[in-house]
Amino acid sequence: MREKATTLYFGPQHPGITGNMMVRLKVEGDTIVKATAEVGYLHRAFEKLMEERNWLQSFTLLCRFCVPEPDPVEESYARAVEMLEGREVPERAKYIRVMVLELARIGAFLFWYGAQASSLGLHTVGQWSIGDRNYVLDLFEALTGARIYHMYIWPGGVRRDFPEGFEEQVIKTMDYLEKRLNDYDDLLFESAIFQKRAKGIGIINKEKAIEWGVVGPPLRGCGIRHDMRIDDPYEVYDKLDFIVPTGENGDIWSRAQVRRQEIRQSIRIVRQVIDKIPKGEYYNKIPNPQKWTLPKGDAYAHTEAARGEVGFFVASDGVSTHPRRAHERGAAYVHAITLLEDLLVGANIADVSEIMFSLGTCPPEVER
Amino acid sequence: MKEIKTKIIERIKSHFQDAVERDYDYNRLDFSVKKETIPSILFYLKDEMNFKHLSHITCVDWLEEKEFEVVFILWSYTDRLQVYVRTRIDRDHPVLDNIDMIWRQANTYERELKEMYGINFTGLEAPEEFLLEDWEGPPPMRRDFDTREYAARTYYTRPGREDAQDVRETIIKRTGEELPDFAKKYKR
Amino acid sequence: MVFNDKNSQKIVDIIENYARKSSLWILAYGTGCGAIELPPTVTSRYDSERLGIHFGATPRQADVLLITGYLTTKTLKRVIRVYEQMQDPKYVIGFGSCTINGGMYWDSYNTINALDRYLPVDVYINGCMPRPEAVLAGFAKLQKLIQAGKADGANKYKENLDWYRTNQKKVIPNWRMPEYNW
Repeated sequence: MREKATTLYFGPQHPGITGNMMVRLKVEGDTIVKATAEVGYLHRAFEKLMEERNWLQSFTLLCRFCVPEPDPVEESYARAVEMLEGREVPERAKYIRVMVLELARIGAFLFWYGAQASSLGLHTVGQWSIGDRNYVLDLFEALTGARIYHMYIWPGGVRRDFPEGFEEQVIKTMDYLEKRLNDYDDLLFESAIFQKRAKGIGIINKEKAIEWGVVGPPLRGCGIRHDMRIDDPYEVYDKLDFIVPTGENGDIWSRAQVRRQEIRQSIRIVRQVIDKIPKGEYYNKIPNPQKWTLPKGDAYAHTEAARGEVGFFVASDGVSTHPRRAHERGAAYVHAITLLEDLLVGANIADVSEIMFSLGTCPPEVER
Repeated sequence: MKEIKTKIIERIKSHFQDAVERDYDYNRLDFSVKKETIPSILFYLKDEMNFKHLSHITCVDWLEEKEFEVVFILWSYTDRLQVYVRTRIDRDHPVLDNIDMIWRQANTYERELKEMYGINFTGLEAPEEFLLEDWEGPPPMRRDFDTREYAARTYYTRPGREDAQDVRETIIKRTGEELPDFAKKYKR
Repeated sequence: MVFNDKNSQKIVDIIENYARKSSLWILAYGTGCGAIELPPTVTSRYDSERLGIHFGATPRQADVLLITGYLTTKTLKRVIRVYEQMQDPKYVIGFGSCTINGGMYWDSYNTINALDRYLPVDVYINGCMPRPEAVLAGFAKLQKLIQAGKADGANKYKENLDWYRTNQKKVIPNWRMPEYNW
C-alpha cells in the first residue's frame, strides 16, 4: 500500500534549524519526497538601507549580513570599494586582514563543530567548542573592541593596529586550540554515532556540484579543489604556505573532514602572519566620508569564507556620496535553497537538520 | 592573462556582433550586449569558454535613464578570470529571458530580482513570494520607493529617536562638568 | 493555589515565585541575529544553566520568549502565534537595541521599531550585540521581577488585547490567525 503524503513544516521555530528559516517537507512515512525552502524571516532590507547611507556608514550594516562569520563580508565590500577607487592598501593592513579572516574562519568552524554535533544529540561537543570559541572572540575583542560585530576591515586598511602584547596572546590561543583539536577528534570524529549518521548521507553529486554553483567545504568535500584563496589570491594569500584539503565522497562525513583539516590550516596561516607581518602603516586614510564620492562604475570582489565564496557587488554613479547599488552574493544563497531542496529528497526527517548544518547554511545571509 | 583575454574577446566578437567589450587592468572583462543575446552568450561562455561558475546576478536601477542594468558575473576556474555580461532593459516593462536551465542557482537570483525590482523572467517557475510576505507596495528595491517615508508611515517610532542632538549639555547640567574648549567647536 | 486567608496566600506566592524564577526555560527560537550570543551564554564559560536558564524546544514547555533582535513583519506574525501558544507563566525579553527603538534598522521598510507595541515586554537588554554578561544581567533582573511578583506582562497582554491586536493588525496585512482565548 502506498502511504499518503503529509506536509510537514520544519521551522521557523525549531531547535534543529540554522537560525530562522523554514523548510516545507512533503513526507511519505519517514521519507521526504519534496522539500521547499521558505526564507525571508530575516529580511531587513540591508541593500536598500545601504543606498540611504554613505560609503563608510554602510559598515555598521555589513557585519550583520552573516552573524557567525562577519569579516568576509566586510572584506569583500572593502575590496570592491578599493577596486572601484583604485586605492592602495598598506602591506601591514593586508597581513592583519588575512589574520582576521582566518580567526573568523576558526571561530566559524568551532561554532560549526558544536552545531553539527548538537544536530545529532551530541551536546558535549557544543559545550566544549563554543566555550573554546570564546577565546577566539577574546582576541577579536582585544583587536576590534567587539566580540561579534567587528566593523574592522575598512577601505584602505583596517581600523586599528595591534594592541600591546596582542601577538603573544594570539600565539597562546593558537597553541591552546591546536591541543584542543585532538580532543574534538576523539569526541566527535571517533564517535560511532557521528560516523554512522554522517557516512553516505547527503551526498552531493560531483558533476552537479560545479553546475549548481556549490562552493566552499561542500564543493571540496566532493574532491574538487577550488578555493578563492588559491584560485584568485587576494591580500597576501599567495605569500603564505597552506594546503586546501579535499574530501572524497561528497557526503556529510567528507565535508566534516574538510572542515576538520581546514581549521588546522587556518591556525598555520595565523602563525605565519604573526611571523611575517611587516612594520608600518595600517591604514591609508580616506577623505571625509560625508563628501567621499567614488568614480562611476562597478566592481565585484569575492572572498573565501568558512561557508564558501562570499562576494560583494557595488555600483557608483560618480556624483553621489551613497552607493547606487550594493548587492551581496552569499554562499548560503545556493546552499540553503536550491541545493538543500535537492539533497533533502529521499532523506529521512531526522537527517534534515544534520544536512542543513553540514552545508553551512546561514539564513541571515540569504535574506539580508 | 593578456593573451587569454584577447582570445576570449576575439571569439565572443566573432559570435556575437552586438557585444561591446571593456578590459580592466586586473582579471576582469566586461561585455555589454542586447537583452535578446543574453541566454545565448551565457550558454556560449559556459559551454565553450569554460566559465562554469555563475557568481552573481544583480541589477542596478538607473532611474534617471529609465533603465535597469542587469549584470551577470561569471568566474572561470581554469582561466581565473571574471567576466561580466551586462544588458540594459526598459524600466517600465522589464522583461528578460529566464536562464535557470543553464545554472540551477540562477533560479534563486531571478526570484529575488523579480520581487525586488519587478523584473519578469519569461518562463521562470518558482513560488510567487520569496523574501516578502503579503507585500502590497511597489517592488521595494526600486529607487523611487522611499523606505524612510514608508517606515515612518507604517511603524511606530519611539520619541527620542529623531532627536539626534547634542546630549553633552544635558550631561553638563546634571553633573556640573566643564565642556572643554575644543569640544565647543564641534557643537551641533 | 488560591487561599482566602491573606497571609497564607502571601506565603504561597513567595514559594511559587521562587520556583518560577529558578527554572526559566528559553524557547529555542532564534528570531534574529542575537541568537548568536545565546550558545555562548548557555555553554561552558558563562554557563547559565547554573541559574536554571536553558533551552526548551517547544512553546508549551518554555517560560521565556527571547526576541533576539529586530523583527520583520513576517517573523512577527510567527512570534505572536508562538507567544499565544505558550502557557502561563510566560515572560518576554527584548534583546538588543533594535527591539527598543529599531536600532540601526529604524528606516527599514520590513522591520518593526518598538517591540512593546506588539508584545508585552518584561525586560529589555540593550546593546548590539549584548554580551553574554549583559544577557545574564537581564535574566537576573527578570528573576528579581518574578520574585517581587511584578513580571506580569502576560496579564497586561490579556487585559489590553484589543490595543495589541490593533497594533499587530496594522503591520500584518493578511491576518489569518486563531483567536487568543486562554
